[in-house]
Amino acid sequence: MIATLRDFVSLWELFRYPTLAGVLAGAALGLLGVYIVLRRMVFLSAALSQVASLGVAAGVFVQARLLGHPSEGGDALGWATALTLAVAIALTRSRKLGGDRALGFVFLGSWAGTLALGTRIVAELHDIESLLSGSAVAVLPDDFRALVTWLVPMLLLHVWWWRGFSAVTQDADDARVRGLPVTLLETALVISLAMGISVVTRVLGALPAFAFSVLPALAALAIAPNLGWALIAAAVVGATSGGVGYVVSYGLELPVGAAQALVGAALTLCCGAVAVTVARLRALLTKSEQ
Amino acid sequence: MDITAVIELDQVRFGYGGEALLPPVSASIYPGELWVIVGPNGAGKSTLLKTALGLLRPLGGRVSRGGTIGYVPQRSRFEDGVPGRSIDVVCSGAGRGWSFLRPWTGPATRTRARSVLREVGAEPQSQSAFATLSEGQRQRVAIARALVDRPDLLVLDEPTSAMDVVAEHRVMELLETLRRTRGCGVLMVSHNLPVVAEFATHALILDREGPLALAGPVAELGDRPEVVARYGDLFSAARCAGGPRASTPHGAREHGHHAHLGGEASR
Repeated sequence: MIATLRDFVSLWELFRYPTLAGVLAGAALGLLGVYIVLRRMVFLSAALSQVASLGVAAGVFVQARLLGHPSEGGDALGWATALTLAVAIALTRSRKLGGDRALGFVFLGSWAGTLALGTRIVAELHDIESLLSGSAVAVLPDDFRALVTWLVPMLLLHVWWWRGFSAVTQDADDARVRGLPVTLLETALVISLAMGISVVTRVLGALPAFAFSVLPALAALAIAPNLGWALIAAAVVGATSGGVGYVVSYGLELPVGAAQALVGAALTLCCGAVAVTVARLRALLTKSEQ
Repeated sequence: MDITAVIELDQVRFGYGGEALLPPVSASIYPGELWVIVGPNGAGKSTLLKTALGLLRPLGGRVSRGGTIGYVPQRSRFEDGVPGRSIDVVCSGAGRGWSFLRPWTGPATRTRARSVLREVGAEPQSQSAFATLSEGQRQRVAIARALVDRPDLLVLDEPTSAMDVVAEHRVMELLETLRRTRGCGVLMVSHNLPVVAEFATHALILDREGPLALAGPVAELGDRPEVVARYGDLFSAARCAGGPRASTPHGAREHGHHAHLGGEASR
Protein backbone atom coordinates (compact mmCIF):
# COMPACT_ATOMS: atom_id res chain seq x y z
CA MET A 1 0.00 0.00 0.00
CA ILE A 2 2.74 2.43 1.02
CA ALA A 3 4.82 1.34 -1.96
CA THR A 4 1.85 2.03 -4.23
CA LEU A 5 1.43 5.47 -2.74
CA ARG A 6 5.14 6.16 -3.13
CA ASP A 7 4.94 5.13 -6.79
CA PHE A 8 1.89 7.31 -7.26
CA VAL A 9 3.60 10.34 -5.75
CA SER A 10 6.71 9.78 -7.83
CA LEU A 11 4.51 9.84 -10.94
CA TRP A 12 2.58 12.92 -9.79
CA GLU A 13 3.47 14.90 -12.91
CA LEU A 14 1.66 12.25 -14.96
CA PHE A 15 -1.30 11.84 -12.60
CA ARG A 16 -1.69 15.45 -11.57
CA TYR A 17 -4.45 16.48 -13.97
CA PRO A 18 -6.64 13.37 -13.66
CA THR A 19 -6.36 13.36 -9.85
CA LEU A 20 -7.13 17.05 -9.49
CA ALA A 21 -9.91 16.68 -12.08
CA GLY A 22 -11.46 13.90 -9.95
CA VAL A 23 -11.19 16.02 -6.79
CA LEU A 24 -12.74 19.09 -8.43
CA ALA A 25 -15.51 17.14 -10.20
CA GLY A 26 -16.30 15.19 -7.02
CA ALA A 27 -16.53 18.36 -4.94
CA ALA A 28 -18.72 20.22 -7.44
CA LEU A 29 -21.10 17.42 -8.31
CA GLY A 30 -21.12 16.24 -4.70
CA LEU A 31 -22.44 19.62 -3.59
CA LEU A 32 -24.99 19.79 -6.42
CA GLY A 33 -26.02 16.22 -5.65
CA VAL A 34 -27.55 17.33 -2.33
CA TYR A 35 -30.17 19.28 -4.28
CA ILE A 36 -30.64 16.37 -6.70
CA VAL A 37 -31.26 13.88 -3.88
CA LEU A 38 -33.49 16.18 -1.85
CA ARG A 39 -35.63 16.90 -4.91
CA ARG A 40 -35.90 13.17 -5.56
CA MET A 41 -34.37 13.67 -9.00
CA VAL A 42 -31.63 11.04 -8.75
CA PHE A 43 -32.58 9.69 -12.14
CA LEU A 44 -32.21 13.19 -13.60
CA SER A 45 -28.43 13.07 -13.28
CA ALA A 46 -28.39 9.60 -14.92
CA ALA A 47 -30.50 10.93 -17.79
CA LEU A 48 -28.37 14.07 -18.12
CA SER A 49 -25.10 12.15 -18.14
CA GLN A 50 -26.58 9.92 -20.84
CA VAL A 51 -27.64 12.98 -22.85
CA ALA A 52 -24.14 14.36 -22.45
CA SER A 53 -22.81 11.03 -23.77
CA LEU A 54 -25.01 11.43 -26.83
CA GLY A 55 -23.65 14.96 -27.18
CA VAL A 56 -20.06 13.67 -27.13
CA ALA A 57 -20.86 10.98 -29.70
CA ALA A 58 -22.72 13.49 -31.87
CA GLY A 59 -19.79 15.92 -31.65
CA VAL A 60 -17.33 13.24 -32.76
CA PHE A 61 -19.68 12.09 -35.53
CA VAL A 62 -20.12 15.59 -36.93
CA GLN A 63 -16.40 16.38 -36.73
CA ALA A 64 -15.11 13.08 -38.05
CA ARG A 65 -17.74 12.11 -40.58
CA LEU A 66 -19.59 15.20 -41.74
CA LEU A 67 -16.80 17.81 -41.53
CA GLY A 68 -14.13 15.30 -42.40
CA HIS A 69 -11.52 16.10 -39.74
CA PRO A 70 -10.82 14.53 -36.36
CA SER A 71 -12.87 15.64 -33.42
CA GLU A 72 -11.56 18.24 -31.04
CA GLY A 73 -12.47 17.92 -27.38
CA GLY A 74 -13.92 21.40 -27.21
CA ASP A 75 -16.34 20.75 -30.05
CA ALA A 76 -17.60 17.55 -28.50
CA LEU A 77 -17.94 19.35 -25.20
CA GLY A 78 -19.95 22.07 -26.89
CA TRP A 79 -22.36 19.50 -28.30
CA ALA A 80 -22.65 17.76 -24.95
CA THR A 81 -23.28 21.00 -23.12
CA ALA A 82 -25.83 22.33 -25.57
CA LEU A 83 -27.76 19.08 -25.65
CA THR A 84 -27.71 18.67 -21.89
CA LEU A 85 -28.81 22.23 -21.30
CA ALA A 86 -31.65 21.94 -23.77
CA VAL A 87 -32.95 18.75 -22.22
CA ALA A 88 -32.54 19.99 -18.65
CA ILE A 89 -34.44 23.16 -19.35
CA ALA A 90 -37.14 21.29 -21.25
CA LEU A 91 -37.53 18.85 -18.38
CA THR A 92 -37.98 21.56 -15.79
CA ARG A 93 -40.02 23.98 -17.87
CA SER A 94 -42.59 21.66 -19.38
CA ARG A 95 -45.16 20.62 -16.82
CA LYS A 96 -46.73 18.37 -19.41
CA LEU A 97 -43.70 16.12 -19.28
CA GLY A 98 -44.31 13.80 -16.38
CA GLY A 99 -41.21 13.56 -14.17
CA ASP A 100 -40.21 9.91 -14.26
CA ARG A 101 -41.73 9.18 -17.66
CA ALA A 102 -39.86 12.04 -19.34
CA LEU A 103 -36.59 11.08 -17.67
CA GLY A 104 -37.04 7.45 -18.71
CA PHE A 105 -37.71 8.55 -22.28
CA VAL A 106 -34.67 10.83 -22.34
CA PHE A 107 -32.41 8.23 -20.74
CA LEU A 108 -33.40 5.44 -23.15
CA GLY A 109 -33.47 7.71 -26.22
CA SER A 110 -29.99 9.06 -25.47
CA TRP A 111 -28.59 5.63 -24.71
CA ALA A 112 -29.96 4.19 -27.95
CA GLY A 113 -28.85 7.28 -29.87
CA THR A 114 -25.30 6.98 -28.55
CA LEU A 115 -25.13 3.31 -29.52
CA ALA A 116 -26.59 4.03 -32.98
CA LEU A 117 -24.13 6.87 -33.62
CA GLY A 118 -21.35 4.61 -32.39
CA THR A 119 -21.84 2.34 -35.40
CA ARG A 120 -21.03 5.31 -37.66
CA ILE A 121 -17.80 6.25 -35.86
CA VAL A 122 -16.23 2.84 -35.44
CA ALA A 123 -12.68 4.18 -35.45
CA GLU A 124 -13.32 6.45 -32.47
CA LEU A 125 -15.85 4.19 -30.75
CA HIS A 126 -13.40 2.54 -28.39
CA ASP A 127 -12.07 5.86 -27.17
CA ILE A 128 -15.59 7.18 -26.70
CA GLU A 129 -16.76 4.10 -24.80
CA SER A 130 -13.78 4.19 -22.48
CA LEU A 131 -14.31 7.88 -21.92
CA LEU A 132 -18.00 7.61 -21.19
CA SER A 133 -17.65 4.68 -18.83
CA GLY A 134 -14.95 6.56 -16.98
CA SER A 135 -11.99 4.37 -17.85
CA ALA A 136 -9.94 7.21 -19.30
CA VAL A 137 -6.65 7.29 -17.40
CA ALA A 138 -5.39 10.58 -18.75
CA VAL A 139 -6.96 14.00 -18.54
CA LEU A 140 -5.50 16.45 -21.02
CA PRO A 141 -4.52 19.92 -19.80
CA ASP A 142 -7.18 21.44 -22.08
CA ASP A 143 -9.85 19.22 -20.56
CA PHE A 144 -8.67 20.10 -17.07
CA ARG A 145 -8.84 23.78 -17.95
CA ALA A 146 -12.40 23.25 -19.23
CA LEU A 147 -13.31 21.66 -15.88
CA VAL A 148 -11.78 24.53 -13.92
CA THR A 149 -13.41 27.13 -16.17
CA TRP A 150 -16.90 25.73 -15.61
CA LEU A 151 -16.78 24.18 -12.16
CA VAL A 152 -14.86 26.75 -10.10
CA PRO A 153 -17.22 29.68 -10.88
CA MET A 154 -20.16 27.32 -10.39
CA LEU A 155 -18.84 26.26 -6.98
CA LEU A 156 -18.29 29.88 -5.98
CA LEU A 157 -21.84 30.77 -7.03
CA HIS A 158 -23.18 27.89 -4.97
CA VAL A 159 -21.21 28.91 -1.91
CA TRP A 160 -22.49 32.47 -2.29
CA TRP A 161 -26.14 31.69 -3.07
CA TRP A 162 -26.55 28.52 -1.04
CA ARG A 163 -29.28 29.97 1.14
CA GLY A 164 -31.32 30.82 -1.95
CA PHE A 165 -30.81 27.40 -3.56
CA SER A 166 -31.67 25.73 -0.25
CA ALA A 167 -34.82 27.80 0.14
CA VAL A 168 -36.20 26.88 -3.29
CA THR A 169 -35.27 23.24 -2.73
CA GLN A 170 -36.94 23.08 0.67
CA ASP A 171 -40.14 24.78 -0.42
CA ALA A 172 -40.48 26.82 -3.60
CA ASP A 173 -43.93 28.13 -2.60
CA ASP A 174 -42.65 29.42 0.73
CA ALA A 175 -39.68 31.00 -1.05
CA ARG A 176 -42.07 32.72 -3.47
CA VAL A 177 -44.20 34.07 -0.59
CA ARG A 178 -41.01 35.44 0.99
CA GLY A 179 -40.22 37.27 -2.24
CA LEU A 180 -37.14 35.28 -3.27
CA PRO A 181 -36.41 35.30 -7.04
CA VAL A 182 -37.51 31.67 -7.39
CA THR A 183 -37.40 31.52 -11.20
CA LEU A 184 -33.86 32.90 -11.28
CA LEU A 185 -32.70 30.50 -8.55
CA GLU A 186 -34.37 27.48 -10.15
CA THR A 187 -32.91 28.34 -13.56
CA ALA A 188 -29.43 28.88 -12.11
CA LEU A 189 -29.69 25.55 -10.32
CA VAL A 190 -30.79 23.68 -13.45
CA ILE A 191 -28.06 25.29 -15.56
CA SER A 192 -25.50 24.40 -12.87
CA LEU A 193 -26.65 20.78 -12.94
CA ALA A 194 -26.65 20.59 -16.72
CA MET A 195 -23.26 22.27 -17.10
CA GLY A 196 -21.67 20.36 -14.23
CA ILE A 197 -22.86 16.96 -15.39
CA SER A 198 -22.07 17.55 -19.05
CA VAL A 199 -18.55 18.85 -18.49
CA VAL A 200 -17.70 16.05 -16.03
CA THR A 201 -19.19 13.45 -18.38
CA ARG A 202 -17.05 14.76 -21.21
CA VAL A 203 -13.82 14.86 -19.19
CA LEU A 204 -14.19 11.94 -16.76
CA GLY A 205 -17.07 9.82 -18.06
CA ALA A 206 -20.75 9.12 -17.50
CA LEU A 207 -20.25 6.69 -14.61
CA PRO A 208 -18.25 9.03 -12.33
CA ALA A 209 -20.54 11.94 -13.26
CA PHE A 210 -23.57 9.96 -12.10
CA ALA A 211 -21.75 8.58 -9.05
CA PHE A 212 -20.46 11.99 -7.92
CA SER A 213 -23.91 13.52 -8.20
CA VAL A 214 -25.61 10.90 -6.03
CA LEU A 215 -23.31 9.04 -3.61
CA PRO A 216 -21.63 11.94 -1.75
CA ALA A 217 -25.04 13.53 -1.18
CA LEU A 218 -26.42 10.28 0.27
CA ALA A 219 -23.41 10.04 2.58
CA ALA A 220 -23.63 13.68 3.65
CA LEU A 221 -27.38 13.66 4.27
CA ALA A 222 -26.93 10.62 6.52
CA ILE A 223 -24.48 12.32 8.87
CA ALA A 224 -24.91 16.10 8.62
CA PRO A 225 -26.91 17.88 11.32
CA ASN A 226 -28.30 20.45 8.89
CA LEU A 227 -28.38 21.41 5.24
CA GLY A 228 -25.39 23.75 5.39
CA TRP A 229 -23.17 21.04 6.81
CA ALA A 230 -24.65 18.52 4.34
CA LEU A 231 -23.46 20.67 1.43
CA ILE A 232 -19.96 20.93 2.91
CA ALA A 233 -19.82 17.22 3.76
CA ALA A 234 -21.04 16.24 0.27
CA ALA A 235 -18.34 18.35 -1.36
CA VAL A 236 -15.68 16.76 0.89
CA VAL A 237 -16.94 13.19 0.30
CA GLY A 238 -17.14 13.89 -3.45
CA ALA A 239 -13.61 15.30 -3.58
CA THR A 240 -12.34 12.32 -1.57
CA SER A 241 -14.09 9.86 -3.90
CA GLY A 242 -12.56 11.57 -6.93
CA GLY A 243 -9.03 11.79 -5.55
CA VAL A 244 -8.79 8.54 -3.58
CA GLY A 245 -10.67 6.73 -6.35
CA TYR A 246 -7.91 7.63 -8.79
CA VAL A 247 -5.22 6.36 -6.41
CA VAL A 248 -7.20 3.15 -5.84
CA SER A 249 -7.59 2.63 -9.58
CA TYR A 250 -3.82 2.96 -9.95
CA GLY A 251 -3.07 0.63 -7.05
CA LEU A 252 -5.60 -2.08 -7.86
CA GLU A 253 -5.51 -1.60 -11.63
CA LEU A 254 -9.22 -0.83 -11.83
CA PRO A 255 -11.02 1.40 -14.33
CA VAL A 256 -10.85 4.95 -12.99
CA GLY A 257 -14.59 5.67 -13.08
CA ALA A 258 -15.44 2.38 -11.41
CA ALA A 259 -12.85 2.94 -8.67
CA GLN A 260 -14.15 6.45 -7.99
CA ALA A 261 -17.75 5.17 -7.83
CA LEU A 262 -16.72 2.32 -5.52
CA VAL A 263 -14.87 4.66 -3.16
CA GLY A 264 -17.98 6.87 -3.13
CA ALA A 265 -20.16 3.84 -2.38
CA ALA A 266 -17.82 2.72 0.43
CA LEU A 267 -17.87 6.19 2.00
CA THR A 268 -21.67 6.25 1.74
CA LEU A 269 -21.91 2.90 3.52
CA CYS A 270 -19.53 4.12 6.24
CA CYS A 271 -21.55 7.31 6.77
CA GLY A 272 -24.77 5.29 6.87
CA ALA A 273 -23.26 2.96 9.47
CA VAL A 274 -22.07 5.93 11.55
CA ALA A 275 -25.53 7.51 11.37
CA VAL A 276 -27.26 4.30 12.48
CA THR A 277 -24.76 3.74 15.32
CA VAL A 278 -25.10 7.31 16.60
CA ALA A 279 -28.91 7.09 16.46
CA ARG A 280 -28.86 3.84 18.47
CA LEU A 281 -26.43 5.23 21.02
CA ARG A 282 -28.61 8.30 21.44
CA ALA A 283 -31.68 6.13 21.91
CA LEU A 284 -29.85 4.04 24.54
CA LEU A 285 -28.68 7.19 26.29
CA THR A 286 -32.18 8.63 26.36
CA LYS A 287 -33.53 5.36 27.72
CA SER A 288 -30.92 5.18 30.47
CA GLU A 289 -31.60 8.81 31.45
CA GLN A 290 -35.28 7.99 31.84
CA MET B 1 -54.21 55.40 12.53
CA ASP B 2 -54.95 53.99 9.13
CA ILE B 3 -54.12 50.30 8.96
CA THR B 4 -53.82 48.74 5.54
CA ALA B 5 -55.02 45.25 4.71
CA VAL B 6 -52.29 42.62 4.46
CA ILE B 7 -54.28 40.81 1.79
CA GLU B 8 -57.14 42.32 -0.15
CA LEU B 9 -59.30 40.22 -2.47
CA ASP B 10 -61.49 42.27 -4.77
CA GLN B 11 -64.04 40.22 -6.71
CA VAL B 12 -61.47 37.48 -7.14
CA ARG B 13 -62.33 34.50 -9.33
CA PHE B 14 -60.12 31.51 -8.74
CA GLY B 15 -59.68 28.02 -10.14
CA TYR B 16 -57.60 25.96 -12.52
CA GLY B 17 -57.43 25.78 -16.31
CA GLY B 18 -59.41 28.97 -16.82
CA GLU B 19 -62.44 27.54 -15.05
CA ALA B 20 -63.61 29.36 -11.93
CA LEU B 21 -64.54 27.07 -9.07
CA LEU B 22 -66.89 29.51 -7.37
CA PRO B 23 -68.45 32.98 -7.74
CA PRO B 24 -66.10 35.94 -7.16
CA VAL B 25 -65.08 36.59 -3.57
CA SER B 26 -64.03 39.79 -1.80
CA ALA B 27 -62.31 40.15 1.56
CA SER B 28 -59.85 42.42 3.33
CA ILE B 29 -57.61 40.71 5.85
CA TYR B 30 -56.01 42.89 8.52
CA PRO B 31 -53.46 42.27 11.25
CA GLY B 32 -55.15 41.08 14.41
CA GLU B 33 -57.88 39.10 12.68
CA LEU B 34 -58.17 35.33 12.58
CA TRP B 35 -59.64 34.22 9.27
CA VAL B 36 -60.53 30.65 8.47
CA ILE B 37 -61.24 29.45 4.95
CA VAL B 38 -63.71 26.68 5.54
CA GLY B 39 -65.58 24.28 3.32
CA PRO B 40 -65.87 20.65 2.31
CA ASN B 41 -63.19 18.72 0.40
CA GLY B 42 -62.75 19.99 -3.16
CA ALA B 43 -64.39 23.34 -2.43
CA GLY B 44 -61.26 25.23 -3.49
CA LYS B 45 -59.95 26.25 -0.06
CA SER B 46 -56.28 25.68 -0.84
CA THR B 47 -56.75 27.11 -4.34
CA LEU B 48 -58.11 30.34 -2.88
CA LEU B 49 -55.29 30.42 -0.33
CA LYS B 50 -52.66 30.02 -3.06
CA THR B 51 -54.39 32.68 -5.15
CA ALA B 52 -54.37 35.05 -2.17
CA LEU B 53 -50.65 34.38 -1.65
CA GLY B 54 -49.82 35.01 -5.31
CA LEU B 55 -48.86 31.39 -5.97
CA LEU B 56 -51.73 31.08 -8.46
CA ARG B 57 -53.00 33.78 -10.79
CA PRO B 58 -56.58 34.86 -10.20
CA LEU B 59 -58.90 34.21 -13.13
CA GLY B 60 -60.47 37.60 -12.54
CA GLY B 61 -60.58 40.43 -10.03
CA ARG B 62 -57.64 41.81 -8.09
CA VAL B 63 -55.44 40.50 -5.29
CA SER B 64 -53.26 42.98 -3.45
CA ARG B 65 -50.83 42.35 -0.63
CA GLY B 66 -49.64 45.09 1.67
CA GLY B 67 -47.55 43.51 4.38
CA THR B 68 -45.19 40.70 5.23
CA ILE B 69 -46.56 37.18 5.24
CA GLY B 70 -45.31 34.07 7.01
CA TYR B 71 -46.43 30.89 5.28
CA VAL B 72 -46.84 27.41 6.75
CA PRO B 73 -47.45 25.01 3.84
CA GLN B 74 -49.46 21.85 4.31
CA ARG B 75 -46.36 19.74 3.91
CA SER B 76 -42.77 20.83 3.45
CA ARG B 77 -39.62 19.02 2.42
CA PHE B 78 -38.37 19.15 6.00
CA GLU B 79 -40.53 16.11 6.49
CA ASP B 80 -38.88 14.39 3.53
CA GLY B 81 -35.29 13.97 4.48
CA VAL B 82 -33.85 17.47 4.73
CA PRO B 83 -31.52 17.22 7.73
CA GLY B 84 -31.97 19.84 10.38
CA ARG B 85 -32.62 20.53 14.04
CA SER B 86 -35.62 22.62 14.95
CA ILE B 87 -33.44 25.69 15.37
CA ASP B 88 -32.03 25.18 11.85
CA VAL B 89 -35.53 24.82 10.42
CA VAL B 90 -36.59 28.08 12.03
CA CYS B 91 -33.43 29.91 10.88
CA SER B 92 -34.04 28.72 7.31
CA GLY B 93 -37.27 30.73 7.31
CA ALA B 94 -35.44 33.99 7.95
CA GLY B 95 -34.81 36.46 5.18
CA ARG B 96 -36.83 37.86 2.34
CA GLY B 97 -36.19 38.96 -1.22
CA TRP B 98 -32.49 39.05 -2.06
CA SER B 99 -31.30 38.59 1.52
CA PHE B 100 -29.95 35.15 0.51
CA LEU B 101 -27.00 37.02 -1.03
CA ARG B 102 -25.60 37.12 2.49
CA PRO B 103 -24.42 33.51 2.77
CA TRP B 104 -24.38 33.35 6.56
CA THR B 105 -27.23 34.09 8.93
CA GLY B 106 -25.85 35.99 11.88
CA PRO B 107 -26.18 35.26 15.61
CA ALA B 108 -29.09 37.72 15.67
CA THR B 109 -31.14 35.32 13.54
CA ARG B 110 -30.42 32.43 15.88
CA THR B 111 -31.38 34.54 18.88
CA ARG B 112 -34.62 35.46 17.12
CA ALA B 113 -35.21 31.82 16.22
CA ARG B 114 -34.74 30.74 19.84
CA SER B 115 -37.12 33.47 20.93
CA VAL B 116 -39.93 32.35 18.60
CA LEU B 117 -39.36 28.71 19.53
CA ARG B 118 -39.88 29.75 23.15
CA GLU B 119 -42.96 31.72 22.15
CA VAL B 120 -44.60 28.72 20.46
CA GLY B 121 -43.61 26.37 23.27
CA ALA B 122 -41.05 24.39 21.29
CA GLU B 123 -37.86 25.57 22.96
CA PRO B 124 -37.13 22.17 24.58
CA GLN B 125 -37.03 20.68 21.08
CA SER B 126 -34.73 23.36 19.62
CA GLN B 127 -31.77 20.99 19.31
CA SER B 128 -33.83 17.93 18.34
CA ALA B 129 -33.83 16.71 14.76
CA PHE B 130 -37.02 17.94 13.09
CA ALA B 131 -37.68 14.49 11.65
CA THR B 132 -37.91 12.98 15.16
CA LEU B 133 -40.63 15.35 16.41
CA SER B 134 -44.30 14.51 16.82
CA GLU B 135 -46.85 16.02 14.42
CA GLY B 136 -47.87 18.67 16.96
CA GLN B 137 -44.26 19.61 17.74
CA ARG B 138 -43.45 19.84 14.02
CA GLN B 139 -46.34 22.18 13.46
CA ARG B 140 -45.14 24.42 16.29
CA VAL B 141 -41.66 24.54 14.76
CA ALA B 142 -43.17 25.26 11.32
CA ILE B 143 -45.18 28.10 12.86
CA ALA B 144 -42.02 29.42 14.55
CA ARG B 145 -40.28 29.31 11.16
CA ALA B 146 -43.03 31.40 9.62
CA LEU B 147 -42.91 33.85 12.53
CA VAL B 148 -39.16 34.42 12.59
CA ASP B 149 -39.39 37.51 10.36
CA ARG B 150 -42.25 38.98 12.45
CA PRO B 151 -44.89 38.84 9.69
CA ASP B 152 -48.08 40.90 9.68
CA LEU B 153 -50.04 37.84 8.66
CA LEU B 154 -49.49 34.15 9.35
CA VAL B 155 -50.94 31.92 6.62
CA LEU B 156 -51.43 28.21 7.27
CA ASP B 157 -52.71 25.56 4.87
CA GLU B 158 -54.64 22.97 6.91
CA PRO B 159 -52.25 23.15 9.87
CA THR B 160 -54.09 20.56 11.90
CA SER B 161 -55.10 18.05 9.23
CA ALA B 162 -52.86 15.25 10.53
CA MET B 163 -53.52 15.83 14.24
CA ASP B 164 -55.76 14.32 16.85
CA VAL B 165 -58.37 16.51 18.50
CA VAL B 166 -56.22 17.45 21.50
CA ALA B 167 -53.21 18.44 19.40
CA GLU B 168 -55.47 20.37 17.04
CA HIS B 169 -56.99 22.31 19.90
CA ARG B 170 -53.54 23.17 21.26
CA VAL B 171 -52.40 24.51 17.90
CA MET B 172 -55.54 26.60 17.61
CA GLU B 173 -54.98 27.99 21.10
CA LEU B 174 -51.41 28.82 20.12
CA LEU B 175 -52.59 30.70 17.03
CA GLU B 176 -55.11 32.58 19.11
CA THR B 177 -52.41 33.51 21.64
CA LEU B 178 -50.06 34.68 18.87
CA ARG B 179 -52.83 36.76 17.37
CA ARG B 180 -53.51 38.45 20.69
CA THR B 181 -49.94 38.93 21.87
CA ARG B 182 -48.30 39.81 18.56
CA GLY B 183 -51.28 41.45 16.92
CA CYS B 184 -50.53 39.61 13.70
CA GLY B 185 -53.33 38.32 11.53
CA VAL B 186 -53.96 34.64 10.89
CA LEU B 187 -55.39 33.16 7.71
CA MET B 188 -55.83 29.43 7.69
CA VAL B 189 -57.59 26.67 5.83
CA SER B 190 -59.73 24.24 7.77
CA HIS B 191 -62.55 21.83 7.13
CA ASN B 192 -63.40 21.78 10.80
CA LEU B 193 -66.46 23.98 11.39
CA PRO B 194 -66.33 23.84 15.20
CA VAL B 195 -62.86 25.38 14.97
CA VAL B 196 -64.28 28.29 13.02
CA ALA B 197 -67.03 28.73 15.57
CA GLU B 198 -64.64 28.67 18.52
CA PHE B 199 -61.63 30.62 17.34
CA ALA B 200 -62.21 32.61 14.16
CA THR B 201 -63.11 36.27 14.02
CA HIS B 202 -63.80 36.01 10.29
CA ALA B 203 -64.51 33.24 7.83
CA LEU B 204 -64.46 32.57 4.13
CA ILE B 205 -67.09 29.92 3.51
CA LEU B 206 -66.64 28.05 0.25
CA ASP B 207 -69.00 25.39 -1.00
CA ARG B 208 -69.47 24.26 -4.58
CA GLU B 209 -72.92 23.00 -3.75
CA GLY B 210 -75.00 26.10 -3.85
CA PRO B 211 -72.55 27.49 -4.79
CA LEU B 212 -71.39 29.55 -1.80
CA ALA B 213 -68.49 31.97 -1.58
CA LEU B 214 -69.08 34.14 1.48
CA ALA B 215 -66.64 36.25 3.43
CA GLY B 216 -67.03 38.29 6.58
CA PRO B 217 -67.10 38.33 10.37
CA VAL B 218 -68.24 35.02 11.81
CA ALA B 219 -70.98 36.73 13.81
CA GLU B 220 -72.54 38.17 10.66
CA LEU B 221 -72.15 35.09 8.53
CA GLY B 222 -74.14 33.11 11.07
CA ASP B 223 -77.25 35.12 10.21
CA ARG B 224 -77.05 34.55 6.49
CA PRO B 225 -80.00 32.41 5.36
CA GLU B 226 -77.82 30.36 2.98
CA VAL B 227 -75.38 29.62 5.81
CA VAL B 228 -78.19 28.69 8.20
CA ALA B 229 -79.73 26.48 5.52
CA ARG B 230 -76.45 24.68 4.94
CA TYR B 231 -74.80 24.62 8.38
CA GLY B 232 -77.68 25.12 10.79
CA ASP B 233 -77.07 27.33 13.81
CA LEU B 234 -73.39 26.49 14.23
CA PHE B 235 -72.14 30.05 13.73
CA SER B 236 -75.11 31.60 15.56
CA ALA B 237 -74.59 29.22 18.48
CA ALA B 238 -70.99 30.31 18.74
CA ARG B 239 -72.06 33.93 18.80
CA CYS B 240 -74.75 33.32 21.44
CA ALA B 241 -72.21 31.52 23.58
CA GLY B 242 -70.16 34.69 23.80
CA GLY B 243 -68.98 34.71 20.22
CA PRO B 244 -65.72 33.43 19.01
CA ARG B 245 -63.06 33.70 21.72
CA ALA B 246 -61.33 36.05 19.47
CA SER B 247 -61.83 39.73 19.54
CA THR B 248 -59.84 41.82 17.14
CA PRO B 249 -57.42 44.34 18.57
CA HIS B 250 -58.93 46.80 16.11
CA GLY B 251 -62.46 46.76 17.39
CA ALA B 252 -64.01 48.75 14.59
CA ARG B 253 -63.22 46.08 12.10
CA GLU B 254 -64.74 43.32 14.16
CA HIS B 255 -68.12 44.39 12.96
CA GLY B 256 -67.20 44.26 9.38
CA HIS B 257 -66.34 47.79 8.38
CA HIS B 258 -63.47 46.60 6.28
CA ALA B 259 -64.28 42.95 5.78
CA HIS B 260 -66.58 42.91 2.83
CA LEU B 261 -69.34 40.46 3.21
CA GLY B 262 -69.30 38.55 -0.01
CA GLY B 263 -73.08 38.59 -0.28
CA GLU B 264 -73.09 39.55 -3.88
CA ALA B 265 -70.80 36.62 -4.49
CA SER B 266 -73.29 33.96 -3.54
CA ARG B 267 -75.99 32.83 -5.79
